[in-house]
Amino acid sequence: MTPLFSRLLLACLLLPAAEAAAQTAAPAPLSGSMVLYTSQLEPDAAQTVDAFRQRNPGVQVDWIRGGTNQIMPRLRAEIAAGSPRPDVLLLADSLTFETLKAEGRLRPSPEVDRGATPADRHDPDGTYFGTKLITTGIVANLRAPFMPRVWADLLDPRARNMTAMPSPAVSGAAAIHVLTLAQAPGLGWDYLTKLTQTGMQPRGGNGAVMQAVASGERAFGIIIDYLPIREAARGAPVRFIFPEDGVSAITEPAAILSTAHNPQAAIAFLSFLLSREGQELASRQGFLPADPSVAPPAGFPEPASIRVLPLDARRAQAESEESLRRFGALVGQ
Amino acid sequence: MSASNFFRVRSGFALVWLLLVGAVPLGRLLAEVVWSASPLDDPAIFHAALRSLALAGGVTAIATGLGVALAALLLLRRLPGRRPLLFGAILPLLVPPQVMALAVAQAAGPASPLLLAVGLAPPMGAANPAYGPGAMMLVLGVQSAPLVLLAIAALVRRLPDEAIMAARSLGCTPGGAFRRIAWPLLLPGVVAGAGLTWVAALGNFGVAASLGIPGRWPVLTVLLWQRLGAGGPQALAQAAGLAVVLAGLALPGLLAQIFATRARPLHHGRVFTPLPIRGGAAVAGGIAAYLALVLGLPLLSLAATALVPALGVAPNLDTLTARHFLTALAPGAQTARAITVSFGLSAGAAVVLALASLPVALALRARPVRIAAAIADLPQALPGAVTAVAAILVVLPWGGALYGSIWLIGLAYLTRFHALALRPVAAVAARLDPRLDFAARGMAAGLWWRARAVWLPPLTPALVAGGLVVTLLAVNEVTVSSLLIGPGAVTLGTLVFNLQDAGLAPLAAATSLLALGLVAALMAAATLAGRGLPAGTLPWRP
Repeated sequence: MTPLFSRLLLACLLLPAAEAAAQTAAPAPLSGSMVLYTSQLEPDAAQTVDAFRQRNPGVQVDWIRGGTNQIMPRLRAEIAAGSPRPDVLLLADSLTFETLKAEGRLRPSPEVDRGATPADRHDPDGTYFGTKLITTGIVANLRAPFMPRVWADLLDPRARNMTAMPSPAVSGAAAIHVLTLAQAPGLGWDYLTKLTQTGMQPRGGNGAVMQAVASGERAFGIIIDYLPIREAARGAPVRFIFPEDGVSAITEPAAILSTAHNPQAAIAFLSFLLSREGQELASRQGFLPADPSVAPPAGFPEPASIRVLPLDARRAQAESEESLRRFGALVGQ
Repeated sequence: MSASNFFRVRSGFALVWLLLVGAVPLGRLLAEVVWSASPLDDPAIFHAALRSLALAGGVTAIATGLGVALAALLLLRRLPGRRPLLFGAILPLLVPPQVMALAVAQAAGPASPLLLAVGLAPPMGAANPAYGPGAMMLVLGVQSAPLVLLAIAALVRRLPDEAIMAARSLGCTPGGAFRRIAWPLLLPGVVAGAGLTWVAALGNFGVAASLGIPGRWPVLTVLLWQRLGAGGPQALAQAAGLAVVLAGLALPGLLAQIFATRARPLHHGRVFTPLPIRGGAAVAGGIAAYLALVLGLPLLSLAATALVPALGVAPNLDTLTARHFLTALAPGAQTARAITVSFGLSAGAAVVLALASLPVALALRARPVRIAAAIADLPQALPGAVTAVAAILVVLPWGGALYGSIWLIGLAYLTRFHALALRPVAAVAARLDPRLDFAARGMAAGLWWRARAVWLPPLTPALVAGGLVVTLLAVNEVTVSSLLIGPGAVTLGTLVFNLQDAGLAPLAAATSLLALGLVAALMAAATLAGRGLPAGTLPWRP
């Protein structure tokens, strides 16, 4: 008997037993409905929810999407009215979750299966979990007058009135980007002030920036990485650039609210996001997965080679409101 | 049950129903404004109000001009292909505004697949000319022109044919006869159409948001949406204040409609027949070209946007893809859900409203019922945001249970569209001979038999027509639901707007085309179901 054949035979004999064992060990199938508030774009959120439901057909997932800073006021209003609706939040950045955690709004969930994701992506207290790595860099239209290499290139006179940026009032990634650049040595408020003097008008979310640059209304955009990389692969006339001086980054964390109506389904949802299957889905959707053993999507450089600008989270959280107001004043909003 | 007792029950039901859909929400809104006294001296509100007025003025001017011109050519003259042209002239009204706005924005910008295909796309960095007040007025003006046309059409049926023939036999040219006899009698129709247009433009959210937000020209409806979305303890009070300001600005439109109803001519004689026109074929060709421009071009632009793999790619045979349609219809996508939600809500509201219209229309002779009905007419005549904010306030005591659920949207639809369902039924009921009912009762016929034998035969077409109009308008509605959506309760109109707002234009275009298909299917079903209806009950068969 060849070794391969014997191994196959062994597998055939063992598989049914393993399957039976898995069945007896598996908990009762989940049911009920679960509400998700997310900042993922519509088709990505639909795919994520659908993939989860294929594993858990008994769970009905109702969801709504919006920019992180559009979802948060809604959640705040619901909390004020005494009945927050979501079970799960899947939003852009950890600062938002830190704030909610400090208010006791997040449920510590040690039950969540973190799969092979590294521990430093998650809250040490287990209230929120980073699901991927999303960086903010520069997108350029292929017809752009030049290709920027560093952030300062956007101050070039040829980029005047040519740069789009998502509004920090909508996008969590954009808010983190402003806070990160404000802290970055060599850039800081000096750079941000000059940038706002180039006629830049932050508007909408990252999708709107993608549309403005792909359509040629603007030549350059400050944007999260996966949209332009994914659209370029489909033929959009754009290129994503990781500036040499570094990108800002968010982890798109997920968390369960302390007021969740269906914590069991919520735990299963988070476990799915961090599972190999969930991470592979994220990679297929064009995100850099949190799990380093899952291959990054095509079009990304080696993840270790991406230079991420550091962010002092504690300082950023303390200064967040004041800094964003200052930035808003600079762009006249 | 004795007869007088029954009348009391029927009037009682009608009164309670009308108060629920009319006076209660509007009263709650006013109470909120009086109680909370939210300050309205914010300059942003003042500027938005000025923009709203400018928009409504511009739209009314454009729509009235177009509507009168179309009426003069299509209703008063005999043109080759008159029926299909008339049908086409009504259609812009049934294209959802947010879809039209998306189509125009996609057709005009530097990434316009149409312009790219012919190599005429504007240079890099050029602003999209669709983003701004001019394009907003033009889009809404073209879309509202059918309102004016329809308001005139309702009066053309009452033109005294004898008088026009007499004028003609005295040597008057057709134009002269129309100028001296027809147009003075049609004026109330023009005024009514202009009034409707004023309110529609003021209350519009789809175009105002899709073109006004990128163009940095926010009007009141957009400001209200933003303030409500921004949350905070003051949001609702502010929204209520803005809704009342919006209602106040709508007053001229409301007054125009009231004046027009009073001045409506009554005519019982020969039905007016259109007169021939010299060069009719050329005129018909001109109208067909106009319709092809305002209907065909946006449709083509939507298709081109929906079929390219990514924005900025020129459409040709190699690049065409059905990917965005597949994404829109993928399992888990909101599109199917949104279609179900919108269709369920609009059809549900239509059925409830039609059922309620029967007893209400029969009870309209009682004075208190008439007053309550006049108040319940207001939500239809005022901008949609007024209804939405009022609905939130009414369900506030139940807090999160109803807010963000489809039930709240459904309740708002009942208030918003009640008048549309009641109007045709009331018109027929007013002409019912009460002696028939007395006779039936004299023969001891019960409620069920009297409904079957006396009321339903004459009223059924009107009930159906009212329900159809409600379904068609509610299924793509965005002004009310954009303020009320929640998880699992996203309507089709809001979905299209959200997709576009998120920068997913190709997906938004694909979804729009699916929505247009739904409207077309509903129209076909309505045409089949409404073959026996009198002229004018289905809007596209004036």
